[in-house]
Amino acid sequence: MSQGRFIAKRVLQGVGVVWGVVSIVFLLRFITPGSAINAVAPLDADRETRQAIARELGLNQPLHVQYGDYLVSLLQGDMGFSYVRGQEVTTLVFSKLPATVELAVAATVVAIGLSIPLGVVSATRRNQPVDWLATLFSLAGISTPNFWLGIMLILVLAVQLGIFQTSGRAVAAVEVAAAVVGPASFVKTLRLWLAHITLPAVALGTYFTALVTRLTRSGMLDELGKPYVRAARAKGLPEAVVRYKHALRNTLIPVITVLGLQLGTLIGGAVITEAVFSWPGLGTLVIRSINLRDWPVLQGSLIVIGTSFVLVNILVDVVYSSLDPRVVND
Amino acid sequence: MVSDRVRRNLASEFRSSVLAKLGVVLVLLVVFVAIFAPFVAPHNPTTQDLDNAERPPLGIVQTEERTTSEMVDGEVQTVTETVTIRPDAAHPLGTDGLGRDMLSRVIYGARTSLIVGVLGTVLAATVGVPIGLIAGYYRGRIDDGLMRFADVSLAFPSLVLAIALIGLWGRASVAVPDPFVAAGFAQEMPATFVLPGTVIVVVGVVNWVWFARIARGEALSLRDQEYVKAARALGADDGRIIAGHVLPNAITPIIVLGTVQVAAIILLESSLSFLGFSGTTLSWGFDISQGRDYVSSGQWWIAGMPGLAIMVAVIGINLIGDWLRDALDPGIQGEGGA
Amino acid sequence: MPDVSAPALDDDVLVAVRDLSTRFFTEEGQINAVEGVSFEVRDNEVVGIVGESGSGKSVTALSLIDLVDSPGEITGGEVWYRDAELAEEFAGSDAVVGDHVDLRRVPATVRRSLRGSSFSMIFQDPMSSLNPSVTVGEQIAEAVEVQRRAKGNPRRTRSRTQGYGLGRLLVDAVLPSRSYTDEESHARAIKLLEQVGIPDPAERADEYPHQFSGGMLQRAMIAQALAGEPDVLIADEPTTALDVTIQAQILDILRELQESGETSVVMITHDLGVIARMCDRVGVMYAGEIVERGRLADVFDDPIHPYTQGLLGSVPDLEAPAARLQPIEGNVPSLLDREMPEGCYFADRCPKAMADCRQPVPEYDGDASEEHAVQCVLADREYDPAVALDDTDGVIDDTDSVTDDTDGATDDGVVSGE
Repeated sequence: MSQGRFIAKRVLQGVGVVWGVVSIVFLLRFITPGSAINAVAPLDADRETRQAIARELGLNQPLHVQYGDYLVSLLQGDMGFSYVRGQEVTTLVFSKLPATVELAVAATVVAIGLSIPLGVVSATRRNQPVDWLATLFSLAGISTPNFWLGIMLILVLAVQLGIFQTSGRAVAAVEVAAAVVGPASFVKTLRLWLAHITLPAVALGTYFTALVTRLTRSGMLDELGKPYVRAARAKGLPEAVVRYKHALRNTLIPVITVLGLQLGTLIGGAVITEAVFSWPGLGTLVIRSINLRDWPVLQGSLIVIGTSFVLVNILVDVVYSSLDPRVVND
Repeated sequence: MVSDRVRRNLASEFRSSVLAKLGVVLVLLVVFVAIFAPFVAPHNPTTQDLDNAERPPLGIVQTEERTTSEMVDGEVQTVTETVTIRPDAAHPLGTDGLGRDMLSRVIYGARTSLIVGVLGTVLAATVGVPIGLIAGYYRGRIDDGLMRFADVSLAFPSLVLAIALIGLWGRASVAVPDPFVAAGFAQEMPATFVLPGTVIVVVGVVNWVWFARIARGEALSLRDQEYVKAARALGADDGRIIAGHVLPNAITPIIVLGTVQVAAIILLESSLSFLGFSGTTLSWGFDISQGRDYVSSGQWWIAGMPGLAIMVAVIGINLIGDWLRDALDPGIQGEGGA
Repeated sequence: MPDVSAPALDDDVLVAVRDLSTRFFTEEGQINAVEGVSFEVRDNEVVGIVGESGSGKSVTALSLIDLVDSPGEITGGEVWYRDAELAEEFAGSDAVVGDHVDLRRVPATVRRSLRGSSFSMIFQDPMSSLNPSVTVGEQIAEAVEVQRRAKGNPRRTRSRTQGYGLGRLLVDAVLPSRSYTDEESHARAIKLLEQVGIPDPAERADEYPHQFSGGMLQRAMIAQALAGEPDVLIADEPTTALDVTIQAQILDILRELQESGETSVVMITHDLGVIARMCDRVGVMYAGEIVERGRLADVFDDPIHPYTQGLLGSVPDLEAPAARLQPIEGNVPSLLDREMPEGCYFADRCPKAMADCRQPVPEYDGDASEEHAVQCVLADREYDPAVALDDTDGVIDDTDSVTDDTDGATDDGVVSGE
């Protein structure tokens, strides 16, 4: 099997999973207490509104017709209407998505940038002070609730030292990029961006930094003990080539699998991190829509979150397949 | 069920690992405190004492600028004075904004966390393990169905799914009488303990897939073992084979996963209570959300102490998880997220 | 460790190992995997080291190429290697005698720089000895590339990165690129694959190890080991993991190599058939020691050590079956330092053990020639049943049962070093 066919297969599977996600969200309407109208209508809706909604959703239709209509409208990019806010759900959700993506990417960059070198150093200097420190850090990191870490970071670095902002998002990363050529001052925009995004990104990324450090360390120790490493040394390869080209590459293969599996934790973490830092993203939207009983928005957000998870996992598998030839060939 | 070899590995790993010992000590401490909370806690964790509010923990002296305005001779005069708040030995970890004792709240919070962590894990395992075993043992359609369903449920982050479910279902809780208080001890302590029922069900529901995956993997490899084949050849029925031969041999990785899951669920529960989706107000996450409002005015301990408590509990459990994993080596790593 | 004063070495001696000891410092205790081993490798010669598993023969091979991993450590001895350039570089120091340099007395970076070009090694299990996620051709090309870079910039040969940027390496780790090796090295890799008899070498070079059969992989390993045109090729059980027919092919390749005059071979094996077929010289290892060594004919036709006799006796002989088949009773001792007996380690299993065997045994010359050396009192005197070692004392006592118990643990320690 070529890599192209492998990717095509994964995309097909992904479409299947997205279909499952959509179906479960559809079913969520029916586990809502009371009638399915409650899942759409605002709490204080009067009789007429409720009937209008029921007609529009086709709630008097048989279930499979409702389901078909639902799928068709989704395919047309229509995720319903929020009566609470008086807005199209699709517009609302996609206006919040960039902020969350930005936060998640920033956290991932922080995590991968720190954890892999830390794990490698820890493994190659096993039982030395660096290794102990890294072990301690990673243990604490996987055991600290990220919202609490966020609050403590605000306390020390924002409130007391005043280096960063306590909350909000002043500029988008896109605007920072635009400032390179645009009229706005690049340095000023960048500073403003960093002042807002650094703390949430660190709070969100710490768990992953810690997790990947642990995985990299133990994987690297494993790989360095394998016969192919000894054989690579026997043929005279410099130690750096043995470690990074050979051992690290094989270490990263399982690490990437786990990262894909843990992506849900990252998105879940983003929700709560957004709550701590008043970051105007999907997470804040999800929580607010639950508090407002704005179910259409909740459902739309769930679909977008589930679909992003599937998309990123396909990406992860593409990286995986280029690292490990056995995946593609078997 | 636990062979001698497993016991020997556990013992030797325990002897050689300082971290494993630390983990056991931390977990025993948390469990002890949680069970005997009415005796260990110095105060009733829900009693308010506004005169004693915002007291810092021992060793910390807090100074605060207080501005008062009053009318003197028809003019507004603003007086700014520096108030010194000293710690009180009766409140070693300080008090919160309503004068409730932080140490007692942290101690009672351990109960909520442990109960939700353990019951949630047991629920997830009770649902997930049989489904996983059956899927792995029979393979075919059941297995395909399970794996597809697992793929779909992994696409929903636990936390998001949990708050969505609680949002839809509401947050029910049950007041359970505290057995010690009911038996006539520690009468000044709360007579009932609030069990956040919905939260327990929800954390179980969102985490069962991890157990199903592990159990399925084990059943897949065990079904082709000679002793399983032999039992089948002898005509034992499938239910008996799964319960008698497959499950006992799959138990090791399930236990290791269970340990990690308790930690993950404690973190999940604290996130839920932080966001206000819990049915109880005696919880570390809830206290952190209360303390958050005091961070900008300098009373860091109100949010700080419960967070440290979470760290102690979760580090302890993770250390035990590492110990079990190193000793039993079931080959699972990093699975089972919060 | 006795300080062996520099001996005069013959010109045709390529490598002379003197009194080499390697120990493993494990949690269970100190394991003497290799103890005072001496042997020589001459130009264009195949030297066999034979022993049971756990006898320390693989650790000996690794010690020769300085690849003993922690918790193992080479604790003493000398490895004299003939290299005029090195001798010039270290001239004047006590590490040099004539053209021979004692590699144990030069910096580790120098020893490392000799890997591939002076010493190279093939391993027992070709599947696990090649990186599963790198193409076979690329792995062989790496071995060529190392030497190419070394020639291009000799001063950097001994550095950790060999002048290859760390940043580029990290990119290599993630991308399946070929930036470490160049086209020239790849072309040479394909030539090498062809040389070891792999059909369609150009296509197969782009395949991954899991797409190769065991025999083909071992050929690829040999190609990789030959990439640096080494003086000494160390083959550690090269045929053990292979089918019988393929074993013969691999041995033929090694034999041809040696006959073409390109390299000397050190053959590590438990298979006396391989030794008989391949070797000019042989050393028999038992419990970390070479108990008997010499020319193949001397040792095989006129074995003196009862262990060698027993080993030869346990080989099924097609001409006279039952008559010579007699396995040696008992187990290989644990090699744990605190459990090692005084004197000869074989005494507990030896059918001809005498009271003197509890004393340290020197190395005697064998009868046949001065190159035949035996570490056994029987080389010195006849077996005398009157002073036989008491059975109840020697064979079935406490230490023996302890030995059996810890056998598994020791195997773990030593086998991981093999």
